[in-house]
Amino acid sequence: MDGAAVSLETAAAKAARLLETAQLPVIAGLGTDVAGTRAAIRLAEKLRGAYDHLASDVLLRDIDVMRQAGRMVTTANDVRLRADCLLFIGPKLSEAWPDLAERLDLSARPRLAAEKAPRKIFWLGPGRGEAAALGATEIAASPAALPLAVAALRAAVLDRKTRSDGSSAQKLKDLAAALKAAHFGAVVWSAESLDRLTIEMIGGLVFDLNQKTRCSNLPLVSGLNAYGVVQTSGWMTGFPPRTGFGRGYPEHDTWRFDAMRMIEAGEADAALWISSYATEAPKWKRQVPLIALAQPQTRLPYAPQVRIDVGAPGRDHDAIEYSRDIATFTLAKATRASNAPQVAEVVALIDAKLAKGSEAC
Amino acid sequence: MLIRLAGGRVVDPANKRDGVGDIWIRGDRIVAPPQGETPDAVYDVSGKIVMAGAIDIHSHIAGGNVNTARLLLPENHRAHRPRPAATPLSTAGWSTFETGCRYAAMGFTTVIEPAVAAHHALHAHLELADIPIIDKGILTVLGDDDFLLSLLRDGASKAAVADYAGSMLAASKGLGIKSINPGGSVAFQNNARTFDLDDVVPTYGVTSRKIFESLQQAVIDLGIPHPLHLHINNLGVPGNVDTALRTIAASGDRPLHLAHLQFYSYGKEGKRGFSSAAARLAEAVNSAPKPLSIDVGQVMFRQTVTVSLDVVRQFDGSKLAKPRKSVIYDGETNGAGVVPFLYKSDNFFNAVQWACGLELFLLVNDPTRVFFTTDHPNGAPFTTYPDLFALIMSREARAKWLADLPKEAVEMTTLPSITREYSFGEIATMTRVAPAKLLGLKDRGHLSPGALADVAVYNDDPDRAEMFRFAHLVFKDGDLVVRDGRVTHYRFGRALNVQPGYDAATDRRLARYYDDLYGLSRDMFKVPANAIAPNYAFEEVVCGR
Repeated sequence: MDGAAVSLETAAAKAARLLETAQLPVIAGLGTDVAGTRAAIRLAEKLRGAYDHLASDVLLRDIDVMRQAGRMVTTANDVRLRADCLLFIGPKLSEAWPDLAERLDLSARPRLAAEKAPRKIFWLGPGRGEAAALGATEIAASPAALPLAVAALRAAVLDRKTRSDGSSAQKLKDLAAALKAAHFGAVVWSAESLDRLTIEMIGGLVFDLNQKTRCSNLPLVSGLNAYGVVQTSGWMTGFPPRTGFGRGYPEHDTWRFDAMRMIEAGEADAALWISSYATEAPKWKRQVPLIALAQPQTRLPYAPQVRIDVGAPGRDHDAIEYSRDIATFTLAKATRASNAPQVAEVVALIDAKLAKGSEAC
Repeated sequence: MLIRLAGGRVVDPANKRDGVGDIWIRGDRIVAPPQGETPDAVYDVSGKIVMAGAIDIHSHIAGGNVNTARLLLPENHRAHRPRPAATPLSTAGWSTFETGCRYAAMGFTTVIEPAVAAHHALHAHLELADIPIIDKGILTVLGDDDFLLSLLRDGASKAAVADYAGSMLAASKGLGIKSINPGGSVAFQNNARTFDLDDVVPTYGVTSRKIFESLQQAVIDLGIPHPLHLHINNLGVPGNVDTALRTIAASGDRPLHLAHLQFYSYGKEGKRGFSSAAARLAEAVNSAPKPLSIDVGQVMFRQTVTVSLDVVRQFDGSKLAKPRKSVIYDGETNGAGVVPFLYKSDNFFNAVQWACGLELFLLVNDPTRVFFTTDHPNGAPFTTYPDLFALIMSREARAKWLADLPKEAVEMTTLPSITREYSFGEIATMTRVAPAKLLGLKDRGHLSPGALADVAVYNDDPDRAEMFRFAHLVFKDGDLVVRDGRVTHYRFGRALNVQPGYDAATDRRLARYYDDLYGLSRDMFKVPANAIAPNYAFEEVVCGR
């Protein structure tokens, strides 16, 4: 507390005071497992505060397109077992999911496909060396050229004219033909490296392909339970993060409840930062009173009023979290169990120290 | 704690009781009137209707697809009724918390989520853990996964199929088994756009009929109380009454539950090629052997969203999505689709659907065989239940609606000719006695001494919708949780599940199968019973043949 070591109880009580005396506290980071998320959203409601996630920019880019235009979507395991034609779009997918090639079992034929021919693999607009590393046929496109290339591909699928030049136009036509000939195609991309319009165009491309054949999207969602936080937030409030309780019921607004913006604009006057998976620190400059639930090695940008070092889910303690490998929740057993406090415990303790008391449930 | 509910009209058809009297509660159980004891609390419920807590056997309240619907349609739950801040997140529209509160306010104390893909069971249980008050359970969906289809293709024994089903139930902590357009998801992945009872699942050479019959037998062999819960082929297709009739015939005299039959009661008469065949279907149900039951899946006129693992149907239905955005999902054991839908009273097709549902309610004679559902949220959200009670209890209420519907639609149904009105006894049979029996919940659905003290007390309001919307009092496990339609505090119910015995060698075989096919441990897909949430407890429902 203010740099001095105190008991967890004392620290939680101080955190509770700071949060409940604030006009508009915000819970940010939210890098935690399902139990931590449940506790944090309940606390946010009780404080009539707001909550946001550290990966919201990427998460909401993806969700915004989905909730505007709909989507066809599949899982990594379905691609592994059934996809006979894969199209990767955009750079840095190997960074977004390092063991993706292994999960998709790309070198093997699709085990459950009707015709077990070798897979056709394409990569439109990869980063340097990415396509070759996967054995994919590369169709070069710089990030700036990618939106038009995807649009041209969609046009080619629909047999419409485009203005793209000779060699790349032919490559896109060949790619369109391969997708149309596929039994079950998969388009693999990440919202981390694409803008909204490109994501929407890819979604449209997949819908178009399904008029005659089968194809689906495999969006590579953020790891470290980021997508699990979205899901948990969804069932608890109906909305993804960037949701506030100021009026006594949840309201979702991707601009209004952006924690960074709220703090920089002087709207939020206290912050509870949670990052238990990695050593991520808040990026805001304005020094609002800060309570940090963080990994011990985390370097915070300024001295917090209260800092509580927490354990990592799935390492220090068992945790339920979203697994990209199976596209749903799973129990991650502790790999190096320790007594480090869990986010859920600490948040519940802060909750219990609020003057208005804790709910029985 | 000893409680006396004094002087209400007790409607308890399981005990052939319908008259003024008392109900006594001690702890979490109903007890016989004790001699010479003074109750700790007396509630004067004279003039009110006292029933056991209601049970909903089919309502999509939790899981990945329901959550996708929430995230897809933020505009659908922006409006809400702020309540006192007594209960966490009860103001969150369409949240798990609101689900529990609104069910409880209507006097429902047990609700079953009927469609959870085996691999997504943990997600469903996590959501159920955040639904307060009511008890709950899931039906595990089988029928489209490679392991089962391979067993059937290879002519495996009945015992092998039953062992597999038992193992999947144990891994998912389900209360029973559901099958949804069996084989349809695999067919869709192979580019089929329709899938019928005798169509063959590509690459497996197995028909949908074979899958459903095998699972139906597995449920019997495992001694699971709830019969196979079947979502049949061709949902929503004009003329699909034939599919329903063929399925009923295929079932023979073995137990089977057919889900949301309203969506299969369509003929092809009239100049639009769409008519009600509900009367024919109801007759088939009436004359079928007794172990056949159905639920209705009533359509009500309003905005909703359809959430279904019948991906063949949902992909086709996405053309009519309103608003125009759908999520269509291909998963390794099941597809799914989330398609928003607006049912309008001035739409010919929707009006016929509405009438079909009511015809089924009113023409199936035995209220122990027809179950009260809207297939929430597919036909309508469960929050419309009070209005639906009013419709089946009042010919006049129906006539008012019929007067406003398109005449050509009304002509395609028999509804105007039906005079039947449900009594309180029949309502209690349909929503209490029969569901408890269908799910094997021996201590629910009735008010005998020893029964669980799940009790709903209603005002005898001539406006039946108002009556059932806000119960006067609701007790869950003997705890008063609702007063005048408002939840007073949270408590958390139990998750009902079955644990039939099966050959443990199946677990080893499945473990090897997952290692080989996915390169992942099967443990990753299992529901870890003790890690879901601190307030989440399971209750075993006993199996036996």
